[in-house]
Amino acid sequence: MNKPLMLGCAAALVLVGCGKQGDSAATSEPAAERAGSDTLAAGLGDNARLADAARAAGLEPTLAGPGPYTLLAPNDAAFDKLPAGALDTLMTPEGRAELTAILTHHILPGTILAADIGKAIDAGKGKALIATIGGGTLTATRDGDKIVLADAAGTRAVVTMADQERSNGVLHQIDSVLMPTQ
Amino acid sequence: MSSRWILAAGAAALAIATPTLAQRGGGDNKGGGGKPAKADHAQHGGGAKPDRAGPGHDRAGGGGGKQARVETSGGQMRHAQVDRPKGPDKMRAAKPNRADMRENDRATARNDSKRDRVRAEKGGDRVRVADRDRTDRDSLRLDDRNRDQFDGSRLVRFDDDERGFRGLANGCPPGLAGKNELCLPPGQYKKLGSVLPAAFASRTLDGAYSQWYRDDDRYMYRNDGDYIYRVNRNGGLIDALFPSADRDFSYYPVGMNYPSEFDQYNVPYQYRSFYPEGGDYDYRYGDGAIYQVDPSTNAIQSIVALLAGDLGVGQQMPSNYGAYNVPLGYRDRYYDTPDASYRYNDGYIYQADPKTQLITAVISALV
Repeated sequence: MNKPLMLGCAAALVLVGCGKQGDSAATSEPAAERAGSDTLAAGLGDNARLADAARAAGLEPTLAGPGPYTLLAPNDAAFDKLPAGALDTLMTPEGRAELTAILTHHILPGTILAADIGKAIDAGKGKALIATIGGGTLTATRDGDKIVLADAAGTRAVVTMADQERSNGVLHQIDSVLMPTQ
Repeated sequence: MSSRWILAAGAAALAIATPTLAQRGGGDNKGGGGKPAKADHAQHGGGAKPDRAGPGHDRAGGGGGKQARVETSGGQMRHAQVDRPKGPDKMRAAKPNRADMRENDRATARNDSKRDRVRAEKGGDRVRVADRDRTDRDSLRLDDRNRDQFDGSRLVRFDDDERGFRGLANGCPPGLAGKNELCLPPGQYKKLGSVLPAAFASRTLDGAYSQWYRDDDRYMYRNDGDYIYRVNRNGGLIDALFPSADRDFSYYPVGMNYPSEFDQYNVPYQYRSFYPEGGDYDYRYGDGAIYQVDPSTNAIQSIVALLAGDLGVGQQMPSNYGAYNVPLGYRDRYYDTPDASYRYNDGYIYQADPKTQLITAVISALV
């Protein structure tokens, strides 16, 4: 659990100066100090494929930085729902731009707890729109006692484990990968 | 499969900035809900920055015009004019797959294929009506017309029977039509090392940018709708520029070089203590992210922060900010009440009027 995302740099503070050239995991010392050690990046121990994807997209320093962000973290099974070979393709240099866009569709500005989403759903009479940091919009609804997030194409991701608070935001586990557009 | 996926679309506080950071919107060109993002108004103004939209909308890149290369040598900036007739396009082209990434949005905007980049806000939603064809400036003029209605800052005239501007070509005098938004002659537009055109003087930043890039004793920042210009007060020369509205759900992927024409330290104000100038790495802002750049190769190594750029004093709270998102450490001070609601964005907490959804103040800087 909580296996650090940055390989070779176990703790966030250690990330600083992990390697100057070519080490995309490195972040600045002030940013790492501000973020603390229990970052979103460090909280992806149960999300190995997401961690790999974040690493490929060069987004680890964002998840290890000050934030705060709300990370909708597709679990490994969620990635299994993608077409065969899709993730591998996205993680190639040619696929990075697309991968980055997809991942940023799972990052929300600020700290949004499940209860916050629930209140917004109630205020919206059953539906709430949620901005992603990447510029998209997700639609939140309830399904029984679960919160469901849907992308523009209607793909539904159920929040399977909510409110994993981190030092630089909060992480919600979801069971599907959401796409910015259909 | 990939092409089908492509997109359309700090908690710990150094200090709680005083509410004086708050800038009241509205009036005297300092705000005004629902203003098109390209509208101009005075510094610290509000103005909508509905850069992003719900699914199906997109934003186009900048226009043409000359660009210049800026080189750094021994810590001193040098400015060398470089003719680059399609400079901004070069930057776009440098983004792998970017054109493809917009394909879905393009489908949406295709019906308006001659429309220039236009951003508007409707009912608090972030709406982008975008296109990237710059072959016809008419639509931009139409947008300018709307902008004029909002803040009176329009600088460009256009054909308009009612207003008696018939005879201008694309809103510009003959010979200057389509050259640029301000109808400036070639050579007086978007050039590093040149004097800021007088027409830009009043074009202060709006929306989130008014917080991110503040005028100070050394620099002032101006915007022409496509680019932000950093002007050195000592001499009044443009010494940096970068796209102001180039986000389109696309980021520079790691591995590519940060565009040389924008290669100046331009990290938004609130993040500068974390990503300073002059360290082992270069940090550059662009397209909604702060990038870590290898100084020796200019290659982007990672994305160190993501910014939304959604909120600004004087604009309507976007409808997709319905969920309370204030960082945990600030919730005891900034919680929603019948009289005020609070939302976080890019290092700041914004206060809005729950009834009107107008963002009335920037309360705190968190980073």
